[in-house]
Amino acid sequence: MFRYITLLMVTSIFLWASSAEDIIKKVEDNLNGKSIDMKISMIVYTQKTKRTMKLQSLSVGKTKSFMKVLYPKKDEGITFLKLDNIMWQYVPKIERIIKIPASMMLQSWMGSDFSNDDLARESSIADDYYQKLLSQDDNSYILELLPKEESTVVWGKVIMNISKQYYLPVKVDYYDEDGELIRILYYKNIKQYGKRFYPSYWEMIPQTEDKKGRKTIMTVDSAIFDKEIKSSYFTKRALKRYSK
Amino acid sequence: MKPYIVIALKNITNNKARTIVTILLSSLSTAILIFSTAFMDGQHKIMLKNAVELYPGYIQITHKDFRDNPSFDNLIENSNKLVTTLKKNKKIASISQRFETFVLFSSDTKSVGAMIAGIEPKNEKITSKLEKSLLKGEYLDEKDKNLVYIGAELATKLKVKVGDTISFIGTGADYSFCADNLIIKGIFQTGLFEFDSTSSFVNKKYFDELFVSENLSTHIIIKPKDIENAQFLSDEISKTLPKDLDSQSWKEFMGSLVEAMELDSIFGYITIGIFFIVIFFVILIYTLLSVYSRIKEIGILRAIGTKKEEIFSMLLFESVVLSFISVFIGGIIGVILAYYFNINPIELGAEFEEQFKQYGLASTALPTDFNLLNILRDMIIMFILCVGSTLYPIVKVNSFKPIEAINHV
Repeated sequence: MFRYITLLMVTSIFLWASSAEDIIKKVEDNLNGKSIDMKISMIVYTQKTKRTMKLQSLSVGKTKSFMKVLYPKKDEGITFLKLDNIMWQYVPKIERIIKIPASMMLQSWMGSDFSNDDLARESSIADDYYQKLLSQDDNSYILELLPKEESTVVWGKVIMNISKQYYLPVKVDYYDEDGELIRILYYKNIKQYGKRFYPSYWEMIPQTEDKKGRKTIMTVDSAIFDKEIKSSYFTKRALKRYSK
Repeated sequence: MKPYIVIALKNITNNKARTIVTILLSSLSTAILIFSTAFMDGQHKIMLKNAVELYPGYIQITHKDFRDNPSFDNLIENSNKLVTTLKKNKKIASISQRFETFVLFSSDTKSVGAMIAGIEPKNEKITSKLEKSLLKGEYLDEKDKNLVYIGAELATKLKVKVGDTISFIGTGADYSFCADNLIIKGIFQTGLFEFDSTSSFVNKKYFDELFVSENLSTHIIIKPKDIENAQFLSDEISKTLPKDLDSQSWKEFMGSLVEAMELDSIFGYITIGIFFIVIFFVILIYTLLSVYSRIKEIGILRAIGTKKEEIFSMLLFESVVLSFISVFIGGIIGVILAYYFNINPIELGAEFEEQFKQYGLASTALPTDFNLLNILRDMIIMFILCVGSTLYPIVKVNSFKPIEAINHV
């Protein structure tokens, strides 16, 4: 009997050790799919204002993504292209392609609480961080992510709360290098799109004093997973071409 | 009239050479003191006036947290209504609203980060020197759309000239993305390198549409009718403002410049002080010599029964009369100099222009400060100095015994 218990414990430890990585892989796969064609609404709340944007986002796997702003009129036609970790923006009003430099990756994306980095690098969590399973209960895993020495990431620590049912994140806490909580991202309202489940409501709440009263909500209006997306979207020429 | 006074006056009138030299020396020193303080004060005043009037203005209203944290959360809301209320104050000469933010400019070849401000061109003509600093092209007007008035150094950095197009990207008051093309309408040069290389201006009406800043401002600038009373007016306005707003006079928000000028004044006074210690000793030695040359005379006076106190009074009276005449003459010369150069500023010429720019002076003309109170103060200082410098010789000569004095060689 005692031997069985020991065996069980040993195997479970192995399971624990391997599962953190597996969980993240599954989560990333669920979040990125093979490809996604999404229409998103983004509502940015500041202390005094509220602003809505609508955009279309096309992505293939982890590395390629193309975005286009559909609303408001003022920003209509602004496009973004991300290939690997490089990001460009095209602004039709001034007919210019702007490469977003590494130094601006932490800057807010279109005035929201999501950063350029979120849009360009969010998907590299499996590659850039060491994962560790902190705890689990019946519904969720809690994972701690610490940056690998060689990776150039911006967060000192990330705590992810992952739903066991869907293998999708529920809540993500972002800490800086000094261990201070900077922001929390909530994923809610998991819906079924085709064969896939996907959170349709994302809520980013900054936690620092200077951003008090701010939050950004992203809702998925429609999403098509795993369909063929034209490769012409993922070239620099697409920025201008698909802007109209 | 007491006899020693008569003798003193005779001494002055009979000994013409001595009198003239003393008066010349003292009156010249007085004139120099008055002129140098007037020149120094004038220099500081014009620096401050230039710095204040160039762009910052005499009184600024901002959100109370804006100075520490110039974010879009700390804006003046409903600023049009506030301006309407302020206009009722009769002590105000002009009011203008500004919205300042930082954007990335780019021309065909270069990209530079700089400030862009939405201003009210008509009001700004009175509150600041932007229009007067025009170098090329034209100043803005109320109907302008995407036309920009840009600093000369910034234009150089972007390699653009009047009529060229530059584009910018930035963030609106609601944190939205802003971008547009701007045509350069005019280029200005204030002489302040920092300002000329980081500032640009557009019509606020156009700016508001783009940056979603309708009825919002970062600053409201007030020019008082009486500029000497800026602090007082600022305090008065402060009391009437909504709680989240704050009014400051230039003495507060340009405190570091005011302090720098004060420090410079102290060094100026130290220099003048050293100069006057020298003058003090020159007068002292001269008086000592002239009194010693009269030592026999004084000895005889003592011998025939004149009291020590009477001798002292006589010599002091001489000194007071001479000093008074010198200070009076010096004062008149000083007043004439200070007044003349106040109206006709000293031109230092083009070779000094570079150094002047560092202090924010656009021109090399330096008017003196004409302030009668300061002149009176300088005259009193000189009078005390002149009389004071004769005290030691008088006491010294009086300490001789009559017989010693008569026999003194």
